[in-house]
Amino acid sequence: MDVTVEYNDIDRFILALQSRYNVIAPVSKDGRFIFDLIDHPSKVSPKYDSTLLPPVKWIYPNDEALLEFDLKDAAKIKEITESNKQALLFVHPCDVNAINIMDEILAEEPSDVNYLKRRWSTVIIGYECLGPCKENILCFDKSYHIAYSGFDLFFTDIGERYYVQVASSTGKEIIEMIGGLKKAGFSDKTELFRVRDERKMRFKKSIHGNMDMLSHMLKEAYNDEIWNIEEKKCLSCGACNIVCPTCYCFDVVDEICPDMEKGTRYRRWDGCQLHGFCKVATGENFRKTAAERVRHRVFKKEVYLKKRFGRSGCVGCGRCIDHCIANISLIEIFNKVFDRVREGV
Amino acid sequence: MPATVVGVRQVTDKEKLFTISLDNGKNIKHRPCQFVIVSISGVGEAPISISSPPTDSGKVIELCVRSVGNLTGAMHRLSVNDKIGIRGPFGNGFPIEKIEGRDILIVAGGLGLAPLRSLIKYVNNKRKRYRRFILLIGAKRPADILFKEEVTKWDEDPGIETHITVDAAEPPWNKNVGVITGLFKYIDIDPLKTVAAIVGPPVMYRFVIRELLAKGIFEGNIFLDLERRMRCGLGKCGHCQINGIYLCQNGPVLSYLEAKKLQEAL
Repeated sequence: MDVTVEYNDIDRFILALQSRYNVIAPVSKDGRFIFDLIDHPSKVSPKYDSTLLPPVKWIYPNDEALLEFDLKDAAKIKEITESNKQALLFVHPCDVNAINIMDEILAEEPSDVNYLKRRWSTVIIGYECLGPCKENILCFDKSYHIAYSGFDLFFTDIGERYYVQVASSTGKEIIEMIGGLKKAGFSDKTELFRVRDERKMRFKKSIHGNMDMLSHMLKEAYNDEIWNIEEKKCLSCGACNIVCPTCYCFDVVDEICPDMEKGTRYRRWDGCQLHGFCKVATGENFRKTAAERVRHRVFKKEVYLKKRFGRSGCVGCGRCIDHCIANISLIEIFNKVFDRVREGV
Repeated sequence: MPATVVGVRQVTDKEKLFTISLDNGKNIKHRPCQFVIVSISGVGEAPISISSPPTDSGKVIELCVRSVGNLTGAMHRLSVNDKIGIRGPFGNGFPIEKIEGRDILIVAGGLGLAPLRSLIKYVNNKRKRYRRFILLIGAKRPADILFKEEVTKWDEDPGIETHITVDAAEPPWNKNVGVITGLFKYIDIDPLKTVAAIVGPPVMYRFVIRELLAKGIFEGNIFLDLERRMRCGLGKCGHCQINGIYLCQNGPVLSYLEAKKLQEAL
């Protein structure tokens, strides 16, 4: 049964949540927003545009310890799978969808135990976008601006109060734990439908083409000039990989403690845009040019993942566009891919 | 899985052959051309092809390693009784059952013999299940030929048609000199019955495939063992991805029919 939470009741909601979970919520930092562990409800900013790093990075953290070893005794190895009970609060639909995609990828056999363990101990509380959060987004084009599943609770601002959709048994438990919340009545539901209905008037399409055809268009453009043009801009810094909510490539590194006795093996984020990503020990580099690497990033999201899971691996959050110092834009690339066909190249 | 080095042998001046046994006493059940991920605490992990065939007394595996990177360098410093970690085996391996009753043509360039040795020895142990057995081996110099005693033995075996070439050599070398594709003029194959397996340096593949196609071998009967950088072996870390597939899961053995659809494969 769905409930409503009054604006001035939200602090009580978060405090109660904190009693059981580490609450990770959008907080303001240096004029931007990040998902961070909060100590007090007043830190939370429900109205944020987009965070620097996506919330999924709390489930898939950088430098995740995989095992501890002892240099003196090679047989002494301890595997580590950490998990904290955490709640991701006010996650936008694009990021909820991104977590769904990550779940699909990493739960596929052979599954990623470290990820799944964290995922199982994570509660996801979504927050509806009733309009575009910023420029350079393509979530609307991809229908990823709405989340249909993959959350426990989902907040929608319906004026003076939030409509809270209860979507899982964990979500129900949380609502019962908090207690004293009003059941959503007929007028709340009507209001919910109204604001959701108005939503589609506020979003604008960024891509001039049929997104269902995108992967076919891209395959046609595999050897096109587009990639060489992007190569001239790309600095191979890997920022797009780091901020992407569905990038999951990693490296495995060993770090030794200063005592030279113990050490830890970490999983560290890696990026397919970095020059050495496909370089092997004998010196061959299987994706030598930035053009090949940019193409690989786009194809991985739009062609390869789409083929495997039936939907695009890019949720259109636009972080890679915002953070590219060379102004490489997926929107521009996709539009060029469509224009190319329109011009009959 | 914790494992122990039970033997180290210098194969050439650059490569060593390690014999590894699992500490739990279990058998690593592998197929030819599969690989394991070797782990040394404090150094890291790297994928290494298994050089021994599954038909040998299964308790140990052999890994032929050239010292080129961090982990392989550390491996070269290992001695008998040292402990390492082994994960795997990973990959699909060679379709040994499907090709029974066929002529087998093996093309091994340089270090390509390391993974192919497992297939060669397997076919040799089950010789009756296969028809002709042709072996083409190429190396830079005579001193670089891996497993020299075994190669000599194969060369002398009347059941195996062996041709060996090196890029450059001085006397007393009395075999061929030149690239591996030069050996194709010596062999006469039945294209409808032949299955080819190719492993070698990346540059070698397209030239060898061209020769094989010219001989009329069906694209689906040309098998390539493609090696890439690998980290996890689980189809997640992304390093071994060529176009849509992860080599550690869907490879490393692909037929040319499959590989030619992947623009990044060759």
